[in-house]
Amino acid sequence: MSTLDRLIPINAPSDADVSLGFIPLIDSAPFVIAKEKGFFEKEGVNVVLSKEASWASIRDKVAFNLLQGAHMLASMPLASGLGVGSAKVNIQTSFTVSQNGNGITVSNELYQLMSTETNNSNEIRNGKALKSVMAKKGKHEKPLKFAMVYPYSSHHYQLRDWLSRANIDPDKDVELIVVPPTKMIDFLKNSAIDGYCVGEPWNSLAVEQGIGHMIVTGYEIWGNTPEKVLGVNQNWANANSEQHDALIRALNTACEWVDDAANLEELLSVLSHPDYLNCPAEQLRYGFSAIKPSGQFDWPMEAYQKFSSDKINRPNTDYALWLLGQMNRWGQLPAVSSLLDFAINTFDDRVYCRALNINQPCKPYSLTGLLSESDWLKGVAEDKIRIHPDGIEFGFDYL
Amino acid sequence: MHQKTSHSPLTVMLVDNEPARAAIVEQALIDNGYKVIRRLENTQHLTQAVQESLPDMIIIDIESPDRDMLENMSQLTKNNPRPIVMFAEEDKSASMEAAIRAGVSAYVVDGMQPNRFKPILQVAIARFREFQALKLELETVKTQLEDRKLIDKAKGLIMKHQGCDEAAAYTALRKLAMDRSQRMSEVALNVISVMDLIGGGK
Repeated sequence: MSTLDRLIPINAPSDADVSLGFIPLIDSAPFVIAKEKGFFEKEGVNVVLSKEASWASIRDKVAFNLLQGAHMLASMPLASGLGVGSAKVNIQTSFTVSQNGNGITVSNELYQLMSTETNNSNEIRNGKALKSVMAKKGKHEKPLKFAMVYPYSSHHYQLRDWLSRANIDPDKDVELIVVPPTKMIDFLKNSAIDGYCVGEPWNSLAVEQGIGHMIVTGYEIWGNTPEKVLGVNQNWANANSEQHDALIRALNTACEWVDDAANLEELLSVLSHPDYLNCPAEQLRYGFSAIKPSGQFDWPMEAYQKFSSDKINRPNTDYALWLLGQMNRWGQLPAVSSLLDFAINTFDDRVYCRALNINQPCKPYSLTGLLSESDWLKGVAEDKIRIHPDGIEFGFDYL
Repeated sequence: MHQKTSHSPLTVMLVDNEPARAAIVEQALIDNGYKVIRRLENTQHLTQAVQESLPDMIIIDIESPDRDMLENMSQLTKNNPRPIVMFAEEDKSASMEAAIRAGVSAYVVDGMQPNRFKPILQVAIARFREFQALKLELETVKTQLEDRKLIDKAKGLIMKHQGCDEAAAYTALRKLAMDRSQRMSEVALNVISVMDLIGGGK
């Protein structure tokens, strides 16, 4: 095929050591801050950030090493390593950049319908009112449509978990579609969807603009759980451990900086820059500050996005196993020879300890409760195993 | 080069909001005997459009924000476009890498044979890269013009400030650039801002 041979090679315009991709969301803050405050530089690594338009694009560019790493959904390294939804490429994460921040928001119209079903606000929060609304729908009416951001994401699994706990079958009773976070509010406003699960500020902004009602947070569904990670191409990481460690140290410093309330105004102004989130700083405030617009339901403080602490930043194998359990529950998981080995190699906390000079031995791994892998998958699929209400650091509850 | 196959012509949907590029890719595909549906706007209705026109293959700009929506279709519909990377051998086929480097992402309907989508992909890659090269060339020309302007302005300021001739001003600039290992245009920019500060830039 001569077409390929005749091509002029296009060189990447940067002479950076490392290119990292990010999606312009508030939890890309640690990447932006590590760059802007010179934390990468201080660690001796020359980083160029590349704003990306979709998770698919991030995945493909990291897979083919156009980007060495990126801001990723915690499930993405797992999906890549399993070859679901794309070619099989080993992507690992050794640093988590954020925790929590998701919420489920419904349209005003759907909220009205739910409110006529019950006076009990708990029944709105736990989906029972939604179940009643759906029971009244005619057989031939269109099913309700909910959006999430990506098939392999906490948003998708939390939404499905929440629906199934209310006895709603996410595959049969509703339609689930993918919508980019920035378009969620428009879709809700135009009645293209009836509700969504997304990270902040897209729940708060819908409430503030009177377009929808935030009814439950991700924290209330799963407790404290990792949200975004630094995902890196494993081949690159194996060949460049010093640079990988430097990235981790810089991001660790950036996470501390982002969580420091004294830096809030500077943080908002840096993030709002056209190179990054390209929006008014005020729009971002809900993502970081202790104030939310007054809606029907309050956000528990724990539900807010947080960025810094050993518990947050250290890769959590239990969470990897939990996500694999969710993938299996919803028909996404292929056969894996050892779930535990795969989880340990993908969520690799040995590198985290090495980079941050933590001598504390990483905990011995076992499937919690010494279950066999098939019993583990079965327990999660049947909703008999849940994350402890306070979060993944406390392990699991066996119902 | 007209492609002759025993099959009916393949339908390609082209999603690209870069109209100039879309036009050259479309023409190349038509020349090769494919049926092309072109969509310039990225839209709420992309997935609907795919369901209605049922293309055999979708070529979409890798930078399109609609990719995540499109990929989810493979979980929702029978006639499901899948990322072509699914078909790439795990040893990473060269054409896949070339596509991503060129900014092309492609989706094929499940079950389409690689020997049928490879030529389409190659046409798209070739045209995307031609377009990239053209753009790069244009930018280089623009930068060179701007650099020239900056250097001229800085030279003028140095001449005025030091009372020297053009050759000396140029030499001074070049020496600065060498010493700081910066590009001439960067040094020129610095000179201009410094002169502005000390009021010599009027």
